[in-house]
Amino acid sequence: MSDKNANATETEADGGETVSGGTGTASLDGVRSRWERVRGRESTIIALTIVGVALFPYLLARAPVISDLLQGYQELASLILVWGIFAIGFDLLLGRTGLLSFGHAALWGAGAYAAGWLSANVVQSPLVIVGIAVLFAVVLSVVLGVLSLRRGGIYFAILTLAFAQMIYYMASAPLASITGGDNGLTGVEIGPLLGSFDLGTELPSVAGTLLGTWRYAFIAAALVASVAVILRILNSLYGIVFRAIHENEQRASFVGFNVWRYKLAAFVLSGTFAGLAGALFTVHGEYVPLSSLYWTTSGEVVIMTVLGGVGTLIGPLIGAGIYLWVEYIVSGGYPFDWIGPYWHLVLGLVFVTVVVLFPQGVWGVVEDGRSWIAARLEER
Amino acid sequence: MSLLAETVRILLNGLQTGAIYVLLAIGLSIILGTLKFVNFAHGALYVVGLYVGLLVSQETTFSQGQLAEFGFGTLGLDMGFLAALIIVPIIVFVLGMAMERFVARPFYDRPDTDQILLTFGLAIVVQQALRVLFGGNSQSFAQPAWASGAVQLPLVGGFPQWRLWVIVITAVLVVLVYALIEFTDFGLTVRAGTQDSEMVQLLGIKITRPYIAVFGIGAALAGVAGVVGGPLTVVNPTVGTDVLVPAFLTVVIGGLGSIRGAVLGGLILGITQSFLIQWSLVIPALGINYGLAPWSQVGIYAIAAIILLVRPQGLLGSEVDIS
Repeated sequence: MSDKNANATETEADGGETVSGGTGTASLDGVRSRWERVRGRESTIIALTIVGVALFPYLLARAPVISDLLQGYQELASLILVWGIFAIGFDLLLGRTGLLSFGHAALWGAGAYAAGWLSANVVQSPLVIVGIAVLFAVVLSVVLGVLSLRRGGIYFAILTLAFAQMIYYMASAPLASITGGDNGLTGVEIGPLLGSFDLGTELPSVAGTLLGTWRYAFIAAALVASVAVILRILNSLYGIVFRAIHENEQRASFVGFNVWRYKLAAFVLSGTFAGLAGALFTVHGEYVPLSSLYWTTSGEVVIMTVLGGVGTLIGPLIGAGIYLWVEYIVSGGYPFDWIGPYWHLVLGLVFVTVVVLFPQGVWGVVEDGRSWIAARLEER
Repeated sequence: MSLLAETVRILLNGLQTGAIYVLLAIGLSIILGTLKFVNFAHGALYVVGLYVGLLVSQETTFSQGQLAEFGFGTLGLDMGFLAALIIVPIIVFVLGMAMERFVARPFYDRPDTDQILLTFGLAIVVQQALRVLFGGNSQSFAQPAWASGAVQLPLVGGFPQWRLWVIVITAVLVVLVYALIEFTDFGLTVRAGTQDSEMVQLLGIKITRPYIAVFGIGAALAGVAGVVGGPLTVVNPTVGTDVLVPAFLTVVIGGLGSIRGAVLGGLILGITQSFLIQWSLVIPALGINYGLAPWSQVGIYAIAAIILLVRPQGLLGSEVDIS
């Protein structure tokens, strides 16, 4: 189970809990209906996200009982958020417009390499590095998008995959003098945030509970900003057109929308988040491996998104959490020694099972369960 | 060596590289064209062919394996490779048929993104299962004794014999499959299915049997590609994904559902790669002598990109578009 999920549901449960302190069923219904009214609002979701990311490292790494079970550690929390940004951005394409890209490694890698190269050669300020790296990824995603969107459907998947592989091979040999080739990009040096906050230092504690490092805060802020931007996009005309394209592309184009342009917009937007996540990955790890451009990276984000649930905001975050938790904790040893060496195989089998039986992913199953229970309670 | 001889040698190398792409691409292409099914697990079938081939050839090569202890090696019965060439296609053919029945068929009506996700997941499962069974380390696939070493060719001189065999085996298989599709009733049904499968069914032809055979044939070709390509590459569970992308590119630039397109596409990619490996950019005036080998992998994608920009439906693609 991912904690991100636990956080959100817990906070939601909190919303309900305040109620039981009230004076009876009438006010309970009142609060619940008020909750129903605000739960879909952008500001509510953003507030919940802030609470969620604030509690996340504590729950994953330091809380009694829960974190003992999860065996998480603090660095994993920021890594999960980084991949989470990648996955929610990817879902903008797969979940909202129905386009399956197998080339997002190129955009993630572009962000990561740009950030790494800048920090090693030009400037160390994390904000500047991430900003320029994102711009670089945007430019690249426009190029890749224009090329790949010449054909739809399966061709799109194949072309994105092909162009991303092309970039991987370029980084591996012809451009090795810039990218470091097989050795990856070393010499990455990230300076302090805003010139004064060293990313490695711990944040001041609140009520004895440590919230993580400045690095975590930086990444968490990026996640919150990403969630806010994506919500804004989805609730704008763009979001509606994306959905229309997903439902029926032909009809959307008959209505008069320039479908190709909206698809490109979706691709570039998701590429922007991929680039942001890639740059943050460099800030997090201070190293860029060549494999970040390899197509398995694209595969990983596909798995995360589908596993968690496409077309939802929290699904891809849950997927990222599960994937990384399995990768870092289950593969690590006790008490998972019996399954550790086969974690890739198990994850593959789980992925296939999800595709075949639960196309809505883990979050879809949770939602179904919740509405089932709600229906049962209604009956009584 | 003269420029002509050098060129012929590069062409031969390119034919050999292209041959592997062709073997994979034909399977992909007829499955994609006829069944409208995107098989990202095609590379997995290649690796299955590779590993089963390795196993069979080691066990039946009497100078290795169990039987060597009984002195069979001295009899000169070094026939493991031939055995692999016969047994692997049969096994992978059956695997392909099972895949059509149990994996592809339930997904024909699902969106193609679901098909890609499913077969992608399956490819991971197969790759990881092979890793569990055979270990993740690279092994090497010995060339058959009867075809190892170099052969003297006119003009070119010494040339690795196995590379020629890869070209010959591929050529024979391509002709066989082409004849099957072009000149038999089975092929007629398959071709009609590529054009309009609904209409074929309306004409009263039960299309499920040709479908299952098409999948089997495509898979068997991928398996053969694994066996013949084996001695030229390292054997590890991840090589399937490395050949999958060029194979898909071959299909896309050749044109969907066209065997001739797959052959043309494979040869273009193979020869491009081969030339880039050998060539260097020489501009004496500027003192430049830059070997292009690092660009050889990039080159096939660049060529593919250019072809697609000019002709999005592929070189020999029909107007039928499945997207």
